[in-house]
Amino acid sequence: MYTQTFEQVLDDLYETEGIHVCILYRIDGTPIAVRTPQDTGVLKVMLWLEKQINNVLREINKEGLTATTFEFKDYQIFITPTSRSTVLVVIIDLEAHHQLISIEIARAKSIINKCVS
Amino acid sequence: MEERVASGIYGLDEIIGGGFRERSINIINGGIGVGKTTFGLQFALCGLNRGKKVVFISFEMSENQIIRDCKQLGFEEIEEHLSAGNLRIVHIYGEDLMFPSLDILEIIRESHTDVEHQLVIIDPLTHYSMYLENEKRKSISSIFMNLREIGTTVITLEGSDGNEEVNQSSIMPLYLADSVLHLDYLGFGELFDRTIHVVKHRGSKHGEGLYPYRIESGLGIVVISSESDIDKVTATYEFDKEFMTAIQQAGDIDQRLAKRIELLRHNWTHNESPEYILNLVINDENR
Repeated sequence: MYTQTFEQVLDDLYETEGIHVCILYRIDGTPIAVRTPQDTGVLKVMLWLEKQINNVLREINKEGLTATTFEFKDYQIFITPTSRSTVLVVIIDLEAHHQLISIEIARAKSIINKCVS
Repeated sequence: MEERVASGIYGLDEIIGGGFRERSINIINGGIGVGKTTFGLQFALCGLNRGKKVVFISFEMSENQIIRDCKQLGFEEIEEHLSAGNLRIVHIYGEDLMFPSLDILEIIRESHTDVEHQLVIIDPLTHYSMYLENEKRKSISSIFMNLREIGTTVITLEGSDGNEEVNQSSIMPLYLADSVLHLDYLGFGELFDRTIHVVKHRGSKHGEGLYPYRIESGLGIVVISSESDIDKVTATYEFDKEFMTAIQQAGDIDQRLAKRIELLRHNWTHNESPEYILNLVINDENR
């Protein structure tokens, strides 16, 4: 079932070393699936993200923004559309293995796109 | 365990604890074209096919329109139920009601006089002539209280499309209802275009996510949820040892506490042990 598949994809992505948060948003700002840690270290970043996400989603939807990255304290926030109506947000350590994570994100994007399109 | 009334929506009851509570008010909220009326029709047909009596109060569609819509969805049996007297469809204009809350209740009570519990659908409740301007909360509360005595009700409510300010009076019923399900429709043609969110569901475990749904010919609304979605609202019964210990300890303090912990056991859906919480409760109650 496709909902089970993309849930599994998010679980796998979340397990990648260096990734703290994975959130799949609908383009109107509604979170579809959320993977967050139990600890509160990344909470400040997520609170900041909540204030920005609707603006970024609007740019993706209306202006065709394809991807964006923010650096915030010790974290990096990747925001990338996965389909016409969904956007993936990944929060990673600044010192994480970015190449590996990029490959994992690209893989996840591809599967999520197939599931939701 | 409390009896539940099937919603009639495929895939929904699994995420709302088995269905609607008996004698409850359940609001289906959403914008244009999300399927609110379809929801009401499915609820009605499901109840009818299980032997219930149903009253469908329509402020917008005539009986013929409702029959036509049902047939287009594949619910051909609606005419049989109408002929058999199990279903009554009432089409009214809000402006024609002298005392809206009283008139509606009178219509419903008159429809099936020999029945203790029936299903009621009101589509939609948004009509502002339903209640007096300066007594909105009291009026709605009064209607709801009486509807609960009559049976289990599904009410559709026109939500805002996000571009207008939320009108306080239009959302008042949401606060007073037992359940609120919000339907959304984005129009992108993808899986999460149409979604249902359980905003509240009093006294019941329910899914807290966003669930995609489709409207399919022959079936109506079908909610799509994953196994993990359903697992999240299903009791695990994996920690019986911890619960039995706590129930015994609680019983030494107060039998009512023991019953509450037993209730928790039947509703424990988490994969983690309840030990911390149970110890907390027992220690607190022991003081």
